[in-house]
This record gives sequence, structure tokens and C-alpha cells, in this order.
Amino acid sequence: MKKIKILAFGPLAEIMEKEFLMEAVDTKMVLDTLVQQFPSLGDRKIALAVNGKIRKDVVLLQDQDTVALLPPYSGG
Amino acid sequence: MQWKARYERHYSLPGFGHLAQEKLAAAKVLVIGAGGLGCPVLQYLTAGGVGCIGIVDFDTIQLSNLQRQTLYRTDHVGLLKCQVAAQQLRAINPDVKIIEHPVQLDQNQADLIIQQYDIIVDCTDNFAVRYVINDCCVILQKPLVFAAIYQYEGQIAIFNVENDQGMACNYRDLFPVVPTAEEAPNCIENGVLGVLPGIIGLMQATEVIKLITGIGEPLINKLMTFNVLNYQSMIVEITDDAPVQVENMGITTLGIKEHVDHARLLDEDISGIQPHEIEVYRSDSDVSIIDIRESDEEPAFPMADQGIPLSVLYARMDEVRASHIIVVCQSGKRSIHAAQQLKMHFGNTRRISHLIGGIIRYLNNNKPE
Repeated sequence: MKKIKILAFGPLAEIMEKEFLMEAVDTKMVLDTLVQQFPSLGDRKIALAVNGKIRKDVVLLQDQDTVALLPPYSGG
Repeated sequence: MQWKARYERHYSLPGFGHLAQEKLAAAKVLVIGAGGLGCPVLQYLTAGGVGCIGIVDFDTIQLSNLQRQTLYRTDHVGLLKCQVAAQQLRAINPDVKIIEHPVQLDQNQADLIIQQYDIIVDCTDNFAVRYVINDCCVILQKPLVFAAIYQYEGQIAIFNVENDQGMACNYRDLFPVVPTAEEAPNCIENGVLGVLPGIIGLMQATEVIKLITGIGEPLINKLMTFNVLNYQSMIVEITDDAPVQVENMGITTLGIKEHVDHARLLDEDISGIQPHEIEVYRSDSDVSIIDIRESDEEPAFPMADQGIPLSVLYARMDEVRASHIIVVCQSGKRSIHAAQQLKMHFGNTRRISHLIGGIIRYLNNNKPE
């Protein structure tokens, strides 16, 4: 398990803390753990950025990685 | 090259000058949505001397808009945004050609409007239209300057412009499937700080100017998030590590087949079913054949499992239970629109097809000799 930092944006920051630490092996585990912990995440669409890069595939994490969870905004 | 006192401060700006001003004057920019984001974008692009600006908006001005939509005055309430905006902008800068498009953008005319412009600016307030714009810009290979807001935060990005490595991303590289409206309530449901669209809209206008003139580092393949409460911003790179395959979305409707080969197509195919195949599909219990013609249209088509007229399809989509939906209409044209609507709604959770050539061709093929 790696110790990583999570940043949550927009409506996601109303469900979880804006910034917190957690442990995970890969990005899939991050999402699975969070959905379990916060069921209201449900099947929300979330773009996931590891250390400033959007990743669509599952990525192995290293200690101190930052994972940003970006939801879509629709307002204009 | 004509010298104009209006643009003196641009002429004397190091790194900008007459050349950049000429580029602005030659540009055609389409601003879709003349609301919170659209107002500042329109005001500054007009003031800055962009040669031609199109405005798409079918809405009228509401009193509750005036807290942030600064092109409009109290006595404009009830009037068409598109018309009032055009009138105000012409007064700001008569050099600029302002074109009004007072329509609700959907797949049917999006391409016709978008293809007339060089750069498209998405200032809309709902996912349905944002995906229509995105997909249309992917197919037409038009640079798209995107922005969206939520309460105190905004997102800005530039899509469909190749970076140094020849890679161009689009909105579906962030969010492949259309989110539900509940996932990000709009300003009506959730409130918005009036200055937020002003700030984000000006960043969007800045990106348009950077793209046209080639100054600075535009947010190509990058998504910026900006928070007005603490002024924190974050820029993430959008990579094509796992490109979303886009296929055939709206291609036939858009009537621009020559672009198909170049487009990185989104989603799964909306496949066409040949008339002779439909009987095979009909025997499958997990297939639903939906006739989307209006109720008074002839001839009857008994093969259909269900009739849901296209005019009410949007509201009744969830009545369709089968995992494979085949849409049919009279001639095979409206069925493509309906299939796209279903695709937008269901994403890749259902297989969506339509009957090529429609009921007329099916019946002609099956005429007794």
C-alpha cells in the first residue's frame, strides 16, 4: 500500500474532504475504496489525474503521489 | 494595413502589435451561449476587434440573469438574448461583424453553424449541448475553447488543437459518457457567485485571443480548474494514454462523410441494420424495435415493439427496456437523430441501431413480386 494525497473538486468536495491522505495500491483501488466509503459517489463520472496528468487506465501509485478527482461542471 | 486608434494599446503591446491585431480582425469566432460565460467572452472579443462573431442562444433575458450577465439591462428582461447581445456589441465596436443564431443547438443544425467559424467557444449551461458541440467539433476538426462553472469554481480547456506531438484531445477524453444532470446541477439549482462566470469567461476569452494570435501558452490538451474563494488553480494535462474510440456519432446526420476518416470518433457505433436483417433481430427477446414516427404517419409497421414519437422520445426513453434498441422511421433519417438521442442518454450501456432506409425501403424490398 502506498500513502497518497487526494484532492477533490466541485461537488465531490461536498461528499468528501477537499484534501486528505489515504492508502492505495493503484487508481482503481482509490475509486473502489472511496465509493465504498461514500456510497453517494455511486457511478458519478470522475476524471482522475495522477501527479497532474489525466489517466484513463489503471495506474500503480507511489508514496506521496497526488490524485486529483475532477467531476464535470455544467454551469455557464 | 489600416491603423485604428481603437486598438492603439494593442499595437504598442510588446509581443502583440499590428500583426496580432490583424489576426484578430481576420478571425471568425462562434460563441455558443450568451449567458454568464458568454457575456464577458462576447464583450471582450468584440472590444478587442475579432473580425466576425456569431452568437448562438435561443433564450430570453430573465431578471435573475442580471446578477452576472452584464450585457443586459433591467429593461431588456423578456427580450431575446441573442438580439440584445448583438445590439449591445454592435454599439461597443461597429468594426465587428455580429451574426445572430437564435436557435437551440442540436445535432440537426450544429454542424451547419459550426462549420462557418474558425474557433468555437462553449459557454453553454448543460451537458446535452456540450456533448453535441464537442462531438461536432471533433468531426469538423474545429478548435473548441471550453469553460464550465460550478458554484465558486471554473474549468477551462482547449480541445481539438494538436500539441507539439500532434496529439489533440477532446471533452470525451475527460468524461467519455454524458453525465446525468444531477451530477452537476446548473446555476439555477445550485447558485453561482455572480463574478465567477465573469472571471472564468475572461480566461476563456483570453484563451481565444491566445489561440488566434499565437501568443503565450494556450491550454491545449490541458484542463485548468480555478477557485475564486482562495484563488487556487490547478492545471492537469489531458493525455491520450487510453484514447476513447469515437465512432459514427452523428456523422451521417452531419453530412460530412469526408471527415470521418480523420475524426477520432467517440463512443460505440450507432450501427445501421439492413432491411433484410430486421426479422432476424426481431426474434431476439432482448431487442426492442421502436417506431419513432408521429402517431398519424402511414403506413403501419407491425414489426415495431413500441411506438414512441421522436417529439416525445426524450421524455420517454426509460420506457425502453431491451439491451439492444433498433430505431425505425419512415426513410431512415429521423431514426439517426433518435439513435443519437438514445446514445446520449444511455451511453454505452445499451446497443443502439437504426433501420437503414426506413420503413419505406423495408416495405419496397418485401413487396410481393
